Amino acid sequence: MFFKLIIRNAKRSLKENLIYFATLVVAVASFYIILSLEKQDVIIFLKEFESDAINKLLALMPIVYGFALFLLFFLILFANRYQLNRRSKEFGMYLLLGMRKERLILQLLAEGMFISIWALISGLFIGAFLAELISLTVAKLVGQGIISHQFSLSLTAIVFTVIGFLLIQFIALLILGGKLFYQEIYQLLNDQMDKKQEMGDVKGNIFHIFIGTVLLVIAYWLALFRFNEVEGFILFLALILGCIGTIFFIKGFGKLLGIMASRSEKKSTKGLRTFTFRQFQENVAHKYLSVSVTSILMTLSIILIADGASSILSLDKVYNRETSVYDFTVYGEKEKVEQLLNSEEMAPYVADLNLLEIGHMKRKGEDADGMSISMVDWSKLREELILALPRKERELFESGDIQGYTISPDNPDALNLLGILEIDATIPYLIPESSYNRLLEAVDEEPLNLQANEMVLYLNPDLLPMEQVDNIPVLEQIFKNAAQSKENLLTIDGTAFFLRPSVPMRGLVADRSIEIHSAFIVPDQVFEQLVNRETYETYWNFRIPKKLQDEQGLMMPMKEASEKLSAAGFGFESYLHNFGRQLFYVVAGSYTILYMGILFLIIACTVLALQFLTQMKQTKNRFLTLSMLGAKREQMKKSLRMQVLLTFLLPISLAVVSGAVGIWGLIKAVFIRIDNNPLLFPMSIFFACIVLGIFSIYGMAVSRTAEGEIDKLRWKTNVGE
Amino acid sequence: MIGQGKLLEIQDLRKNYGNKGHVTRALNGVSFDVLKGEFLGIMGPSGSGKTTLLNCIATIMKPTSGRVLLKGDNISSFDSKRLAEYRGSRIGYLFQDFELLDNLTGKENILLPLSIHGVDFAKAREKLHELATFLEITDVLNKFPSQMSGGQKQRVAVARSLISEPDIVLADEPTGALDTRSARNLMNKLTEINRKNERTILMVTHDANAASFCSRILFIQDGVIFHELRRQQSESREEFYERILQLLAQLGGGSANVL
Repeated sequence: MFFKLIIRNAKRSLKENLIYFATLVVAVASFYIILSLEKQDVIIFLKEFESDAINKLLALMPIVYGFALFLLFFLILFANRYQLNRRSKEFGMYLLLGMRKERLILQLLAEGMFISIWALISGLFIGAFLAELISLTVAKLVGQGIISHQFSLSLTAIVFTVIGFLLIQFIALLILGGKLFYQEIYQLLNDQMDKKQEMGDVKGNIFHIFIGTVLLVIAYWLALFRFNEVEGFILFLALILGCIGTIFFIKGFGKLLGIMASRSEKKSTKGLRTFTFRQFQENVAHKYLSVSVTSILMTLSIILIADGASSILSLDKVYNRETSVYDFTVYGEKEKVEQLLNSEEMAPYVADLNLLEIGHMKRKGEDADGMSISMVDWSKLREELILALPRKERELFESGDIQGYTISPDNPDALNLLGILEIDATIPYLIPESSYNRLLEAVDEEPLNLQANEMVLYLNPDLLPMEQVDNIPVLEQIFKNAAQSKENLLTIDGTAFFLRPSVPMRGLVADRSIEIHSAFIVPDQVFEQLVNRETYETYWNFRIPKKLQDEQGLMMPMKEASEKLSAAGFGFESYLHNFGRQLFYVVAGSYTILYMGILFLIIACTVLALQFLTQMKQTKNRFLTLSMLGAKREQMKKSLRMQVLLTFLLPISLAVVSGAVGIWGLIKAVFIRIDNNPLLFPMSIFFACIVLGIFSIYGMAVSRTAEGEIDKLRWKTNVGE
Repeated sequence: MIGQGKLLEIQDLRKNYGNKGHVTRALNGVSFDVLKGEFLGIMGPSGSGKTTLLNCIATIMKPTSGRVLLKGDNISSFDSKRLAEYRGSRIGYLFQDFELLDNLTGKENILLPLSIHGVDFAKAREKLHELATFLEITDVLNKFPSQMSGGQKQRVAVARSLISEPDIVLADEPTGALDTRSARNLMNKLTEINRKNERTILMVTHDANAASFCSRILFIQDGVIFHELRRQQSESREEFYERILQLLAQLGGGSANVL
């Protein structure tokens, strides 16, 4: 009998309270998705290249899981409270009929566990499906055919999902059961909304709104203009002020709204308007804390989703090979590598083969302190660069107060150039003209054809934070002036060298085997003459032939070539490394952040939904009275829809404002980069749609459920039939 | 005092509960008329069918057979849309536990029927003022029900039932939840409304004291009307009350004998 009752009640709960069940399922699915991250195709792929970073990311997952567990615990608690509230009359009845409280609570726990099992089955199913979907989409989207998809079911993820979910469900039920234990039967039988109604005086409410607005404005100001000062602390302060401000604002707003509703006499008899506003007011003013919390969660959600989405935006950088030319760089003995690359096996994969030679310039000697004496004199160029500095920096330079150099995107170009040259120009790297010519040829650019006393200042586009290093206005201007006045900006070992302007700058190798900021590209005989043989190195660069790319795409031949090179035992790097690393940043930056963002949103929506339905249930009698006074069902449903709309709109409106400020602040602090990206617009629309979509689904579900309750209304026997 | 013509005609009203094997006849052929301006009471013991009768007239329950005519319209055959138009505008209601919406102020509660039926507030302003003054509730108009006494709540409910000037007010044990003083006060007000404004009131009660304010009382038992008392022109309320008590005593004895 006991067991039968449990099963019957559990089944009824499933049927009657879809939102409750859906909440449990969402919780289970979210656990599984985060826990099964390591089985995602893209993660498996990246593990090959960036195993350290991936392991660090995966090591973070237990923390994310713990956090999700913590958040979802409150959600589960809230959902269960709603569910128990719905049935309080029934519980009162059981107790009235002599059931012992211990037994009732035992029964509740048993029912809860029974429903949990159903939720686990459905949730794991949905979670696994979603994880597969995400895995497949991401693999297809970013993998360009090299990330293969494999169906995966993570057993550890399932185990931890089950443990985590049952744990929070059990604790939640225990807490609520304990509460039930101390309630009197009378309270259970007469579960009514707290009858206490207060108007709240206008002054108090305006005061609340005022305080709330002031705090919010301060928080916004901090986020927008003071973000970079004492970073962590200011961020924290802005967050705290924003939260408190939100609470005050909503508290004041809810009550003021009710007062406004009763003030406008003209409209007071326009349909159920007054009733609608009073219901809304009750929902907001009496539950201002949870409404504020949902608003704060939504704000965070909007910011997180924007941040995660901006990481996806940088995906095009992963594919963007503006400056990178070569697919492979092989190191090792010059002749042996050449032999391998020209062998029958490798030849089909090799095009634009280029031997890159590089080495430091010789030194003139050492001074008394053992410091190198440079062959390079660039004092004239230095002077010109200092002259080109903005006034403030120039004064610092001239007074000799500048101690060191930082190279950053915030500096004026001239300052960065000065820094680079101060560091590099004493013993610069040398690159023979012929090496660079072959590189230019590969990308269909004109060869250099340097005169005997001409050189190029090479600036590495991959490492320097300046836009378009092959065309820096300051430098171009200085070069042009010097050419006109036949002035020497630079001498090497006493010989004047002219600097060639406007040379395209490209990456020297496939990835990062050469990390230099700058080099001098000089005619081949000058290179032979000046290079320090001890530092001389060679790299073989090549590209996958265009034809092969057209046939098979870039990634597949690249993978095959990698395997062959590995088999031959040579050290090499490929564009895959570059790609993998960039992809890792994107995945790490977007996955967990988007996950948290969407989780916050779902939690906020669920809380709003459950709260609305709880109020609806507790004030069911009002709708009966309305129908007695002649209200049609359609009229009441219209009022309900309006109530739902207002209930959802208030927190999200504030969240949209706060969220926009938050995003703006992050953009200003360059946490989020959104430079003119063609994907920016579609991406923003896509994620805005996701947020709105989740929001509308919840709104509609609540409306439906509430309207269903109206249809079920019966005045003792039958209303309006 | 009593206007001419029938306002409400109840014709052979029957209501059965349950299904074939188990039929309970709550109303077993009830017929009577309510005249315009009348204050009619319906008395009977628990289970006599008086609440079923009121519910059928109130249109919240459909009779099994028979007709309820309000000014000649058979409202028991109306669909839900037309019924909604009648409720709150042509028929006013008073309930034992007031049924005020506790998140609306007194004034908002009173205006609710007008809101529902989309009546302009400007037309009701004077009426609201008049009713509030008469019922002595002007100082609770801006208060919520939780801030009012029981008597005040029921008088707000009275104002709500009268605001749309219905043809008839149906009252279901309106004094049931009130103390003696508030109950007497309420009945005095209802009587005055009935006499001065010729408002027709139909009240179900089992309280002889409340019933003594009526001009006519129908006694119902086992689903049929079996007796009627009329208050004489010259008769005082106290005397009428005595007569009601006598009758109830006889009835009590009668039913005891039957049992």
